[in-house]
Amino acid sequence: MSATAAKREIKTLEKGKKETTEETISIKNLDVYYGDNHAIKDVSLDISPYKITAFIGPSGCGKSTILRAINRMNDEISNCRMEGDIHWRGHKLLSDEVDPVILREKIGMVFQKPNPFPKSIYDNIAYGPKIHGVKDKDELDDIVEKSLKDAALWDEVKDRLEKNALDLSGGQQQRLCIARALAIEPEVILLDEPCSALDPIATSKIEDLLEELKEDYTVVIVTHNMQQAARISDYTAYMYLGELIEFGETEQIFENPQKENTEKYITGRFG
Amino acid sequence: MVSLKSSSQKDDENPFQKGRNIKEKLIRSVLFIFASLAVIVSALIIFTLLEGSFNFFLGPEGSMLEFFFGTNWMPSGGDPSFGVLPLLMATLVVGGGATLIATPIGLAASIYLAEFAGDKVRNIVKPLIEMLAGIPSIALAYFALFTISPLFRVHFGASYFNMASAMIVISIMVIPIIVSISDDAITAVSSELEDGSLALGTTRWETTKNVIVPSASSGIIGSVLLGLARAVGETMVATLVAGSVANLTFSPLEEGQTMTAYMAQVAKGDIPPGAAIQAAFAVGLLLFIITYLIRLGGELITEHFTGGKEKKSHPFVRRAKERLERGWWRVKSILSTERDKVAALKNRYRKQKMGKVITFLCMIGPLLFLSYFIFNILRKGLPGMSITFLTSYPSRFPDKAGIFPVIMGSIYLISLTMVIAVPIGVGAAIYLKEFAPDKFYSRFLRRIIHNLAGVPSIVFGFIGYIILVEMFSVGGNLLSGSIILAFMALPIIEVSTEEALESVPDSFRDAARGLGATKWETVKNNVLPNALPGIMTGSILSLSRALGETAPILFITTMFAKNPPGGIFDQFMAMPTMIFYWTTHMKEEFQVLAATTIIVLLAILLTMNGIAIYIRYRTQKRRRW
Ligand SMILES: Nc1ncnc2c1ncn2[C@@H]1O[C@H](COP(=O)(O)OP(=O)(O)OP(=O)(O)O)[C@@H](O)[C@H]1O
Ligand SMILES: [Mg+2]
Repeated sequence: MSATAAKREIKTLEKGKKETTEETISIKNLDVYYGDNHAIKDVSLDISPYKITAFIGPSGCGKSTILRAINRMNDEISNCRMEGDIHWRGHKLLSDEVDPVILREKIGMVFQKPNPFPKSIYDNIAYGPKIHGVKDKDELDDIVEKSLKDAALWDEVKDRLEKNALDLSGGQQQRLCIARALAIEPEVILLDEPCSALDPIATSKIEDLLEELKEDYTVVIVTHNMQQAARISDYTAYMYLGELIEFGETEQIFENPQKENTEKYITGRFG
Repeated sequence: MVSLKSSSQKDDENPFQKGRNIKEKLIRSVLFIFASLAVIVSALIIFTLLEGSFNFFLGPEGSMLEFFFGTNWMPSGGDPSFGVLPLLMATLVVGGGATLIATPIGLAASIYLAEFAGDKVRNIVKPLIEMLAGIPSIALAYFALFTISPLFRVHFGASYFNMASAMIVISIMVIPIIVSISDDAITAVSSELEDGSLALGTTRWETTKNVIVPSASSGIIGSVLLGLARAVGETMVATLVAGSVANLTFSPLEEGQTMTAYMAQVAKGDIPPGAAIQAAFAVGLLLFIITYLIRLGGELITEHFTGGKEKKSHPFVRRAKERLERGWWRVKSILSTERDKVAALKNRYRKQKMGKVITFLCMIGPLLFLSYFIFNILRKGLPGMSITFLTSYPSRFPDKAGIFPVIMGSIYLISLTMVIAVPIGVGAAIYLKEFAPDKFYSRFLRRIIHNLAGVPSIVFGFIGYIILVEMFSVGGNLLSGSIILAFMALPIIEVSTEEALESVPDSFRDAARGLGATKWETVKNNVLPNALPGIMTGSILSLSRALGETAPILFITTMFAKNPPGGIFDQFMAMPTMIFYWTTHMKEEFQVLAATTIIVLLAILLTMNGIAIYIRYRTQKRRRW
């Protein structure tokens, strides 16, 4: 994408923070293909701002693929093709006019397996801001501290910021990855099964954290864990074989599912 | 139930199959001996080097003090002196310089290949890089002497023999090593790390530079060290291009004799007998140790330092670093012309573009060199090509000279090498993979075989000559030449056979074993047939490499062999050594013949490689598991 198009993007992406309707992420007739594999089939739904939306469904149903469509990470997979569109703040996110590099600055992502860089804790957090042009070391120090505090990790690591991030425990690493995503001040955070590699204690820490984060961020989470979805999310989308079967408020989905398929899944009769 | 159990039990406990059992044991022992031959050979090499070095140091002319600290290397004449520093210096300038040139180019090329090139480009470029690695060093030496060296003479006032041209051409040999290993290391960095960085809104270039390359750093450093070991052990280019006068100088524009070049000088018979030849043992031992340590370092780094762990630094150092960093940032922000994010982004994309262009050029550069090299050799050599040239005998008159017996010599040599190396290499691999995969001794054997691959070819040639011709009186003939080449080819055959065996699924083995077949029967009937294409590919590739080797047979071949060898105890001449003699010939007409011979050699090598690649391609297409 050209730099002029990028310029347009930045201008528009940065204005107007809390215009709620503009803030909604509207997925419209999304189809995603990996080569011949039709992984997402005509999915439409609205993701509400400053809420937690959970995607659930059996393995391979396309949860990660949807997430990776929102911040265009699918662009990095060579045989992946997307059709339809995603509207956010008056932009068509899948169009050529949106530069994925800028988009990802606004829509951060945390992955299933903690993936800290083999650098120090400090450098992990500072990595994004540095690239995005923070030039002042004091400012950077502040960002690192704030991000780690927001990710509820600061107290555990403040004395060893120079240590290699790989020496942290799994749960700490995942919170580091969340802090790393927060450090570039995104508006939306996508989390793809952030707790699946963690023990219960680490998991509950992250869940508490997500509750706090939704004050300031739109949170989208993929989870395999039904209880987790029920506990923390405001809205739940149930997917099956690439199709969106049911979407609604979490309470309704879990207590009064409209589709038989949904009920079977959440009651654990398959999946 | 009972009968079932007995048939799947260990075969050597089965009382009903004594005959099979004895055969099985016999085969197992033979394979064990094949696998252990590498140990004997390694021990012989080390022992011979040590013994020769002792003799030299204890002899009247030798002195350890002078050897290690003397600054004068003057092996012949009334008052010879043996200070190895000049040889060491030239080795450092040529080998180190070549690696210094090759490292940034090779790394950049591997970055482009791994991160920016599409599958199509990769599929074209990787074989070409392999091809570059397959050019015999004697051919590159010819090119260096007659094409690169004149440039340095004309433009930089270099001497006729100069280290700079050797450096350039050896760097071309090192680049493929760095590219292929670094490419592996870079592609092995998990896509999760890559995703993690890209998801932060970084460009691919930023991700590559800041996350991927640092994560692959141990593999990259390993590749550089392996390349360095290769450069330090390179003989033909150093001999023909850098010169044969020991000279304690840093200047690449001057002549210098490397350690390998000195040994080659001994091989050519330009050295008076006595201490000067004994000194070659000491030089060989030093060379052996240096290349071994470099390779060992490379392997240790690659194996043990994955993930680029940071060193702990002293608080004082850290504070100083931080202060420096702060200062540097201030300077940067003052100098910065980026007024806003838009300009910054533009700049970031510009950097990506520049990175892509530069790494692309580094990938293309060696390929351009390859095509210019081929063009140049064809232009020089083709006029000399004719049926008569291929069918007549060498002569003192260039217009009558031909290479018929030389071609035959090479063909016989490589055939005999195959007869020796393939059974031993394949047998060793079968033993290590199928019979004793995880024992301590097999790990040790693997290590030894691996190390054998790193012994510089001139050391191989020298020691081979000493052991076979002087100790065992085999004579300077086809047999001893083949034995030397066979042990050089052996490691590659062993490794590729093990890989081929590895690729046969265990279910094939279990099925046969379940039906009561012995281990060897299983291997023979069920495993080997499926591994055959891989074994053939590896064998052909390693034999083609052996066919192009000059240094190891420099001691053995002789210009007096006018006829094709009639038996394994006959003297012979081979193409690489013929090229060597003609390249150093005073008459220009003979130098043309050298180019013509290079064309013939390259054509044969290309055919062999083509066959290997075809086999690999066909089995990849046909593979059903
Ligand atoms: N990189 C890829 N290349 C080809 N096909 C892919 C790729 N990634 C996913 N797929 C396919 O797309 C479909 C959806 O995969 P996706 O990873 O989105 O599922 P998921 O719901 O996240 O599953 P899980 O719960 O196992 O993570 C699957 O059929 C999968 O095989
Ligand atoms: Mg997934």
